[in-house]
Amino acid sequence: MPRITLIEAVTMALAWEMEHDDRVIVLGEDVGVNGGVFRATAGLQQRFGADRVMDTPLAESMISGMAVGMAAQGLRPVAEIQFMGFIYPTVDMMINHAGRLRNRTRGRMHVPMVLRAPFGGGIHAPEHHSESTEAIFAHMPGIRVVVPSSPRRAYGLLLAAIRDPDPVVFLEPKRIYRLQKQEVEDNGEALPLDTCYILREGDDVTIVTWGAMTFETMKAAEELDKEGISAEVIDLATISPMDLDTILESVEKTGRLVIVHEAARTCGVGAEVAAGVAEKGIWDLKAPIVRVTGYDTVMPLFRLEYEYLPSVARIIDGVKKTFED
Amino acid sequence: MSVKTFNLPDLGEGLPEAEIVSWLVAEGDIVKVDQPMLQVETAKAVVEVPAPYAGRIARIHAPDGTILPTHSPLVDIDTEPGASAGGTDPAATKPAAASAPATDKAAAAREDSGTVVGKMMSSDEVLADADIAGRGRRRKPGRIKAAPAVRALAKQLGVDLENCRPTGRHERLVADDVRAAASGRAPAARQAPKLKLPPGKPEPLRGPRRAMAQSMSAARDHIAQCTLFDDADIHYWAHGQDITARLLRAIAAGAHAEPALNGFFDGEAMARQLEERVDIAIAVDTPDGLIVPVIRDVGRKSAQELRADLNGIKQATRERSVKPEDMRDFTFTLSNFGMMAGRYATPVVVPPTIAILGAGGLRHDVVPVLGGIETHRRIPLSLTFDHRCATGGEACRFLAAIIDDLQKRD
Repeated sequence: MPRITLIEAVTMALAWEMEHDDRVIVLGEDVGVNGGVFRATAGLQQRFGADRVMDTPLAESMISGMAVGMAAQGLRPVAEIQFMGFIYPTVDMMINHAGRLRNRTRGRMHVPMVLRAPFGGGIHAPEHHSESTEAIFAHMPGIRVVVPSSPRRAYGLLLAAIRDPDPVVFLEPKRIYRLQKQEVEDNGEALPLDTCYILREGDDVTIVTWGAMTFETMKAAEELDKEGISAEVIDLATISPMDLDTILESVEKTGRLVIVHEAARTCGVGAEVAAGVAEKGIWDLKAPIVRVTGYDTVMPLFRLEYEYLPSVARIIDGVKKTFED
Repeated sequence: MSVKTFNLPDLGEGLPEAEIVSWLVAEGDIVKVDQPMLQVETAKAVVEVPAPYAGRIARIHAPDGTILPTHSPLVDIDTEPGASAGGTDPAATKPAAASAPATDKAAAAREDSGTVVGKMMSSDEVLADADIAGRGRRRKPGRIKAAPAVRALAKQLGVDLENCRPTGRHERLVADDVRAAASGRAPAARQAPKLKLPPGKPEPLRGPRRAMAQSMSAARDHIAQCTLFDDADIHYWAHGQDITARLLRAIAAGAHAEPALNGFFDGEAMARQLEERVDIAIAVDTPDGLIVPVIRDVGRKSAQELRADLNGIKQATRERSVKPEDMRDFTFTLSNFGMMAGRYATPVVVPPTIAILGAGGLRHDVVPVLGGIETHRRIPLSLTFDHRCATGGEACRFLAAIIDDLQKRD
C-alpha cells in the first residue's frame, strides 16, 4: 500500500475514476499540460488525453458552466478552481443551475459534477488565496460541501463525490496537502458522504472541526489528554448536509461542545453546528458551547496568518472554558 | 558599449523562482524590443520572456535548465552594440560550472514545493486517526437530561444531579427537582400545573360533593383500578323480585364465595383486612351530591329486611337525615345507576375498600340460546377492584358468584 500525501490521494482518486468511468472529465486552468497548480492532476493528461483532461481559459464562470452542462448531459465532470479566491465567479452557476437543475426539471436532469478547490490559509499565499468560505456553499440548497482531512478520506470522499448524482463542492485543505502521509489502498472504494468521522474517541468534551484544523485539534487533544481531559474529535467531513446525529450522540456522552474552524466566526459553519446542538442537545450540555475560529476580518498577509488561524493553544483554551464554573 | 542587466521578473504572484526552459537567442544575437528571448516555466505555465531593450545579447547568466530565483540577473544586453565590435566576453560564453550543484538543489526543492505561491509545508509524518464513520445517534437511556440553567442551579445549591429525581417531560430534570434534592425532602411527584379558571365566580365545593372530590382524588392517586364487565340473565326471575335487594344479596354471595374483595386495604402499610360481614354502601344521587348510606350485614338479612332498610335509606336521604355513622365503615359499594342511563361504567373504588359493583339499566337483550335466539332481560354489571391487593382471578370468581346468585329464580 503506498504511503501518500493528501494531494497524491486526490490524484490517485481522479486517476482511478477516470480509468474506470469514461464519463469522468477533468477540466480547469492548467490542469492538463501543467498538471494543476498544486499538481493534483499531474500526469492525467498524458494518461487520458487532452479530450478528458482539458485546459481551459482563465474564466471560472465558464469552467463551472461547462461542468453543469456536461453533467446535465451525462458526463461526470470534475472541475478545478485554482484557489478559493477564484471560486466566486462560479457562485452563479452553482446556486442558480447546479444546485437546482434537478428540482427545476422535476427530476429529469441532475448535475453529477464536482467542483474541486483548494482552500484555507497557512501557506504564506496572498490573502484571497487563503480564505475558508465553505459556509457560502453550505448555504446553497442542492449542493453538497465535502472537506477531506486525511489522505484516506481525500481518496474515499473524492470517489464518493464523483459518483454522487448531485453537485459536490469538494474543498481541499491545501495547508495539509503534503503535511502528513498515510497508507491508502488504491482500490476504488469510496467512503460514505453525509457522515462525520470520529478521529479520536473521548469522554469529557466533543471537539467538532474539519479540514486543516483537524491537525491542530488532534494535537490539542493530545495535550489535553496529558492534563486528564479526554477529548472526542469529530471531523465534520460533509459540511452540508450535516450529520448532526453523530455530534448529538457525542455530546450526550461528553456534555461539552467546542467547535474549531478556520473561517471567520460570523455565520460560519460552526454557528450551524452550535444551533443544531442547542436545538436538539441542550439537555445534555453541561457548559455553554464554545467556538474557536478565525476572526471577522480579511485574512491577513502571511506574516500574521498564524495569528488568524486557531492555534493548538487557542483550542486548548477554548476547551478549558467549557470546564469553568 | 552600454550594457544593461535584466533581472528575472516575477512572472506570477510572488513566485520565488522560475526554471529556464530554453533560450531562443544566443549570446551575440541582435534582439528587438519585445522579441522573445527565452522560455521560462513557472509552476503555472511556460511563458516567453520578451526582450526589454533592443541590442545585442552580451551575456546569458542562466543557461537552459537553471532554476533561477526571481530578481536574479538573467541577461545582459548591450544597447549600443555598434560602439564595441569586440565580440563577447569569453567568460560569459561558458555557463558557470560551479552553479550546477546549486541548480540541482534548487530543482529538487522545486519538485517538493508543490505550489506556485507561498510555501507548502511537507513532512514524512504518518497521520494516524481513528477514522470512524459517524454512527448516527443511539440514545442512551438513563442519562441525565437537564437544561444549562438547571445545571447552574444544581451547582449553586451544591446538588449532584445524580441524586435528583427527574419529573419533567421526557425524563428531564427541572429546577424543582434540584430544589427538592437540595432541601432533602423526597422529590415530589410531578405536580399538575396550576389551573386558572376564566373570569367568573368560582363556587367552593361543600359537603358531600367536597367529600366526593377528596375520596375520588385519593382513589385516582392510589388505587390500581381494574374493571370487569358482564351481564346477569334474569329471564327466569319469579314475578315481583326486588332488584336492589337481589343485587345486595348477590354481592353477599360473591363475598361468601370469594372473600378477597370484601374489606379494606392500606397501601402504605401494605396490609389488607378482609371482613366476613358484608356492609354495603349504596350510592344515592342527590342534588347536594353523592350520599352513600350503608346497609349492615347484608348476608344475614332477608329480602324483606333489606327492602325495609332500603326504604329507610330513601326516607333519610330525602329528609337529609342520614347520620354520619350510617355512612361509615362499609366493606363494599354498590352503584345502581341503571334507572337513569348507562349500561356499563368504570366505577371508582372508594378507599380504603377494595371493590365496587356498578349495575346498569335492565334491558331486553337478544341472546343466543340452544336452537335459536330469544329475548332475555339482563342486568349489565361492572365490577371495579383494587388490583394492588386482589387478583384478576379473585375478581372473576367474585363476579361469577354474583351472576350465579342473580340468575336464581328467586
